[in-house]
Amino acid sequence: MKVGFIGLGAMGRPMALHLQRAGHEMFVWARRPASANGLPATLCSSPAELGRRCEVVFTIITSSADVEAVALGPEGLIEGMAPDSVLVDCSTIAPDAARRIAAKLGEKGIHMLDAPVSGGAQGAIDATLAIMAGGDAAVLERVRPLLACLGKRIVHIGPNGAGQVAKACNQMIMVAAIEAAAEAMRLAAASGVDCAKVKQALAGGSAASRVLDVMGERMVKRDFAAGIEARLHHKDFGLVLEAARKSGVPVPLTASVAQQLNALMALGWGKDDTASLLRVLERA
Amino acid sequence: MKIAFIGLGIMGRPMALNLLKGGHQVTVWARRAASMQPLLDAGATGAAGPAEATHGNELVISMVADAPDVAEVMRGVAQGAAPGLVAVDMSTIAPAAARQIGVDLAAAGVDFMDAPVSGGEVGAIAGTLSIMAGGSDAAFAKAKPAFECMGKNVVHVGASGAGQVAKAANQIVTGMGVLAVAEAFAFAAKNGVDRSKVREALLGGFAYSKILENHGQRMLDRNFKPGFKSWMHEKDLNIVMQTAHELGLCLPGSAATAQMFNAMVGSGMGEEDSIAVLKLLERLSGQE
Repeated sequence: MKVGFIGLGAMGRPMALHLQRAGHEMFVWARRPASANGLPATLCSSPAELGRRCEVVFTIITSSADVEAVALGPEGLIEGMAPDSVLVDCSTIAPDAARRIAAKLGEKGIHMLDAPVSGGAQGAIDATLAIMAGGDAAVLERVRPLLACLGKRIVHIGPNGAGQVAKACNQMIMVAAIEAAAEAMRLAAASGVDCAKVKQALAGGSAASRVLDVMGERMVKRDFAAGIEARLHHKDFGLVLEAARKSGVPVPLTASVAQQLNALMALGWGKDDTASLLRVLERA
Repeated sequence: MKIAFIGLGIMGRPMALNLLKGGHQVTVWARRAASMQPLLDAGATGAAGPAEATHGNELVISMVADAPDVAEVMRGVAQGAAPGLVAVDMSTIAPAAARQIGVDLAAAGVDFMDAPVSGGEVGAIAGTLSIMAGGSDAAFAKAKPAFECMGKNVVHVGASGAGQVAKAANQIVTGMGVLAVAEAFAFAAKNGVDRSKVREALLGGFAYSKILENHGQRMLDRNFKPGFKSWMHEKDLNIVMQTAHELGLCLPGSAATAQMFNAMVGSGMGEEDSIAVLKLLERLSGQE
């Protein structure tokens, strides 16, 4: 199949490679063409041109505004994609924005799925991402073989926007768990106890979690190189709090963790791993 | 002075009336014609829109709901403006939004000032508002006689946006203040202690505040009529939290407070006074 891919960052690049290795003909567009270097793919001059040449297009970029510009802006996908072709947006953006973009594309008969992913750069490399899809179930079935190249757990959550809601829930739980791990590590250290031993003991009990495994390990080793850059979690928390506000749902823990993320940003660790929440605690 | 006043809601109406009482010539416009009538009856001139209201006046004042409303009104003002016009927005909006409107209006030769207020409907009627102004010295000097008809504590805080920063700071203190008094009362009641006695005792010490005195009394009376509606306090705290997010600023107390107000709006208490946060606390602790 002719597959387009936009967003060749830490997540996007390994995802594009998996699709290529599965035998698909790849077309890419990048704001900085250099980011496509070394990819066995055809470089297009605009999202519109890429859209004209592909049956399915993947995007994984940073913000709601970026996705809107690539999909709907001048020389955007909407100008090139044929009716009945499919945009699969794997970015993490606001549920509202996903619904808006899907509606605009729908006017031209172009299908869209919001299909944000969880699992980080390692999950992208290992093709073990969790994929949460919002949109038409039949459209999801059409692209499921492609998604199966990227992840193991592919769940249809509901209509457009539902995938982004699930991703917001994912971020709430995950970053709160990182903060909990950081606070536990901090308490252990301040009590003169070996953090590595605490983490090792906890891994066998009810507090065991993937976050404790991965982020806890980084905290113990004081290895704060990203992983997923904390600034992206900070961005996501802005989306979560906005969604909570629009629904009138109190999220006291999320709001509190968001303040720790604000502190992290202020201290200049936005490009480091979110395990840096430990370093925020050490400042107090 | 010849003044145009745009936005005649709970706050705007008494503020415009006080300008008339102060001897100024006032032209008014409001989206709903009915809101204009009390002002016309009191001697104001009516206009058909912001541009027409602006035409021929030295000073324009707006008092509307949110940043998009202010931007829309000010686009009209720019159309009706003669060079050197001073436009003052007294609504509560984000500092960044106020700065942007200032920049846009400067291009049209209008000197813009943000001057949000504190003191509520009572202060607006009595002409005792606190006014926090941000903008040029010249704009402040021009608007000062008008400010003095509407408020008592008039402070030129700084450059464009500074008034809104002060107002956001005000909402941090009042939001947490209301929650603090409500929590103290919930604490007293759960311990079986008379909250009115607690209030009386605290009024003599370091916990004294206007909020403990006035809002506290209304909590004791269980008078939850607004006053200041909780959805508006939620809106204002959202400005605080968004600004904190953009700047990288850790505000744990404001964040917790904002979530309490968020819960109030979500559970149907948005139209009640923000002191109804007491009811939310009581519900959470099984004190109903």
